[in-house]
Amino acid sequence: MSSMTKQAQQRVGLLQGTLDMLILRTLLYGPAHGHQIGKHIQRTTNEFLQMQHGSLYPALHRLEERGWVSAKWETAPDRNREFKYYRLTEKGRKQLVVEESQWKQMAEAVARVMWPAAEES
Amino acid sequence: MKWWQIRERNADLERELRSDVELEEEEQRENGLSPEEARYAARRAFGNSTLIREQTHEAWGWVALERLGQDIRYGVRQLLRSPAFTVTAVLILALGIGAVTAVFSLIDTALLRMLPVEKPEQLVEFKAANPALPPNDTFSYPTFQTLNSQTQVLAGAFAFRKLFKVDVEVDGRGGLAEGQLVSGNYFTVLGVGAAQGRTILPIDESLAGQAPVAVIGYDYWRTRFALDPGIVGKHVLINSVPFTIVGVTKPEFYGVQLGDKVEISVPLTMIGSVYPGFAAAGSPADALKAPFRNWLHVMGRLQDGVTRERATASLSPAFAQSMREAAASLAGTPIDSPAVRQTFLNFRLQLEPGSQGLAVLRLQFSKPLWIVMGIVGLLLLITCANVANLLLVRANSREKEIALRFALGVGKGRLIRQLLTESILLGLGGGVMGVGLAYWGNRLLLALMARGRSPVLLSAHPDLRVLGFALGVSLLTALIFGTIPAWRIAGVDPSRGLMQNARNSAGSSTRSRLGKSLVVLQVAISLVLVVGAGLLTRTLANLKDFYPGFDRDNVLLFSVDPTVIGYKDVVPLYERLLTRLRAVPGVRLASMSVHEPLSMSISTTPIRVQGSASGQAEDLAPVNIEPVGPDYFATMGTPLFRGRDFSWGDRDGTTKVAIVSEGMARHYFGNADPIGRFVSIPGFVGDSSWIQIVGEIRDVKVHELRETGAFMLYLPLFQLPEGGATFELRTAIDPATVQGAALDAVKAIDPRLPVDSVKTLKVQLNDSLVQERLVGSLSGLFAVLGLLLTCVGLYGLMAYTVNRRTSEIGIRMALGADRSRVARMVLRETLVLVLCGLLLGFPGAVFASRLIASQLFGIKPWDPVTFTVACLLMAAVTITASYIPARRAASVDPMQVLRTE
Repeated sequence: MSSMTKQAQQRVGLLQGTLDMLILRTLLYGPAHGHQIGKHIQRTTNEFLQMQHGSLYPALHRLEERGWVSAKWETAPDRNREFKYYRLTEKGRKQLVVEESQWKQMAEAVARVMWPAAEES
Repeated sequence: MKWWQIRERNADLERELRSDVELEEEEQRENGLSPEEARYAARRAFGNSTLIREQTHEAWGWVALERLGQDIRYGVRQLLRSPAFTVTAVLILALGIGAVTAVFSLIDTALLRMLPVEKPEQLVEFKAANPALPPNDTFSYPTFQTLNSQTQVLAGAFAFRKLFKVDVEVDGRGGLAEGQLVSGNYFTVLGVGAAQGRTILPIDESLAGQAPVAVIGYDYWRTRFALDPGIVGKHVLINSVPFTIVGVTKPEFYGVQLGDKVEISVPLTMIGSVYPGFAAAGSPADALKAPFRNWLHVMGRLQDGVTRERATASLSPAFAQSMREAAASLAGTPIDSPAVRQTFLNFRLQLEPGSQGLAVLRLQFSKPLWIVMGIVGLLLLITCANVANLLLVRANSREKEIALRFALGVGKGRLIRQLLTESILLGLGGGVMGVGLAYWGNRLLLALMARGRSPVLLSAHPDLRVLGFALGVSLLTALIFGTIPAWRIAGVDPSRGLMQNARNSAGSSTRSRLGKSLVVLQVAISLVLVVGAGLLTRTLANLKDFYPGFDRDNVLLFSVDPTVIGYKDVVPLYERLLTRLRAVPGVRLASMSVHEPLSMSISTTPIRVQGSASGQAEDLAPVNIEPVGPDYFATMGTPLFRGRDFSWGDRDGTTKVAIVSEGMARHYFGNADPIGRFVSIPGFVGDSSWIQIVGEIRDVKVHELRETGAFMLYLPLFQLPEGGATFELRTAIDPATVQGAALDAVKAIDPRLPVDSVKTLKVQLNDSLVQERLVGSLSGLFAVLGLLLTCVGLYGLMAYTVNRRTSEIGIRMALGADRSRVARMVLRETLVLVLCGLLLGFPGAVFASRLIASQLFGIKPWDPVTFTVACLLMAAVTITASYIPARRAASVDPMQVLRTE
């Protein structure tokens, strides 16, 4: 019983953590500020993930608290202004691998349930 | 992130959000939107910025603390906004908390604190119980040695005895000090170390005669030797006997009797040199040899894991053997008799907890202190009710604010937490001020206690325990007075609260009912306090007016002990002193006694009566024996019932005579005339010679005013010189004016004579009432405070009620009610409240007065006069308090009211 609820909690956590994963993945290309990250996720998913930019910041700060990203105010190359740039840390890189594999397992598990025939053929 | 970085992080977040929003805005503008539209689009893209901030804060993980910070900031702002309320509430609370804390710190010091020694919980005090006699707490030296050898259950037993004041001569200058005799292992078993040098060691007990050593207390080192670093090895004369000081004890150690201070300790084997008379070396009653000579207090330390029961069982056989030896050793001594022997054989060993040292002070002060604690506890309740009432009234004015906050979406839980935070802030404010007040009050209390006959020297500095207690009390009071109003306020209906005329809302009428019950409670508690104070102060007054069997006015007392500076035969000196003192102008008569009148110390011993009425040749009822000088009763103003006073002729070599008290005469001789009968007191005189009774006096109080008929037997001091003495000077004028001349007269006889305890008999008598004064004056003070607070509470409530009902009163008056009728209405309402309070308080007062019955004197606990006066006083004072609101009600202008309506 308890192991079941624990698993369920893990899955919910995974879903919630998806945003974290996307942010980490985005930062793999190099440092970016909040606005860029948001724009990038929106654009790459063809606006499918209609997130409000604002919801990024709690996630970004959470990642920073955990030490997966580091932040620094830097001048943007194209605009003559300072932005808070987030950068993936070594710890964050490892976390990305973990989250990615968890997500894959999850996606495969869902796929097996949803499309069992495709699996056989 | 750490919580102190929150501000920094917050600024950082603001900057980040702003820069990103601006960027979005720029991009939108570049897409061709107008600046206005671009701004809105950017805002939309970002979403609820407050929510973002809050969620980000949550990501930092300090939300609870931040909320608390907000609550505290908001609370402080709210409190500062109404300074009059805040100051009043904090002051009232400080009063209550301060009083409770002060008394607690005293109880902590006097009753609860353990000795500052190693593992005090292992210590036990030895007593010898005998069903027929009061418990005996002294043992002979051989019995002590037997106990000390029982190592299977005891880690050690140590013995000690307080000496009377000893003369300590340093570099040729004498001075009195509190001395004590200790066994060699006293300090080692207690685990008390030395601040300088070493303590007394077991070897010093056995080597005493060869190299006498002494250890002094830290305070004595400071006061007498100014912390002289060369103290170790210093040679001093104690009662003219050379000693070497080998060390100073740790500053926190004052001996094992709380309230007492030991200034100088010497090995008990030195008794023979320091007090040869007492030691009786070589005689059958030799203090260091005679097994029947009980004179030492004994305490011990149990082995690890040994209980008192097991130790008692294990020690009992050895103790019984020791008692048999004591009984056998009586053979051939004048006090030997089957009954005396049986007393020894009947003794049973008893072990009492010794973690707090000897119980004298606790026994003396425990009841009075707990009574005072009860009183201040009640006072604290009154202050709580008072502040709760203030908060309720304040709640009314805050109704709109609260309703607004509800309307804006504050949760009920958060609101209650916010209100409680305010209460706790008030409580802590009161607590901080209260501790300050307690510190000051403490000195007052200690000063009250220190004025007794045996000055109680306590240092009650607020320590962590007391501060913790104050904090606890503050929080508890905050919860008590804060919860009800918070609950009430949280019940506000936002829609009604926001309405313009919230003054007449239903919520405030239940609130004023609550306010009324709080006032009723205050009146009830005040009645208990007033009745208690009435009984206790009348007790004090009764004791002060009580005739103790002597005339207390115009008597000067002082003590002189010539033996400590080497006098052997004191009688000639005393004769010269008395003659000289009687010649001092203003002195009518002078005499002397061994003990001060109304002092706790007195010698008791069984006596033998020739041809007693009760048919017994011997009676073990203890008789107090007091050697006194010529014309003692004339000097004291004690009426002689029969026979004569002592005269100068009653001296060594003449017929041995005695004067008895009425109670003792009746006990031994019935209604027969005791004059000419004979008694013998071998235990006191040392032989069984017969002493003729030559006089009988009315009963006098010898220990304390409350005692009933102590058996007294007076002997001529010149027939039994016994060391030091107290002189009594009956003066024709104010004794204080004679004091200088009298002390000069003593100096003129011998300037070295140490004079001590100079005071008037009246002061001595008042000093014997230290507990009564403590309880009486404090109960009076706190009752007045309680009554005052209750009046303030009642006044506040009535003023508030009148204010709330202004329109109603105005309409009544417009309809024809006259002013006196309106005033009467308010007064009637007050009267109902007060009557309810008195009815509620009456049983409480009856209960409380029964609790303190044992402390009363000359008054019954249910004394009708006290109860009636207390009730009338309460009614009068409280109704006076409501006079102003009644006046205000009567002066309401109906025209104005109608206009505002």
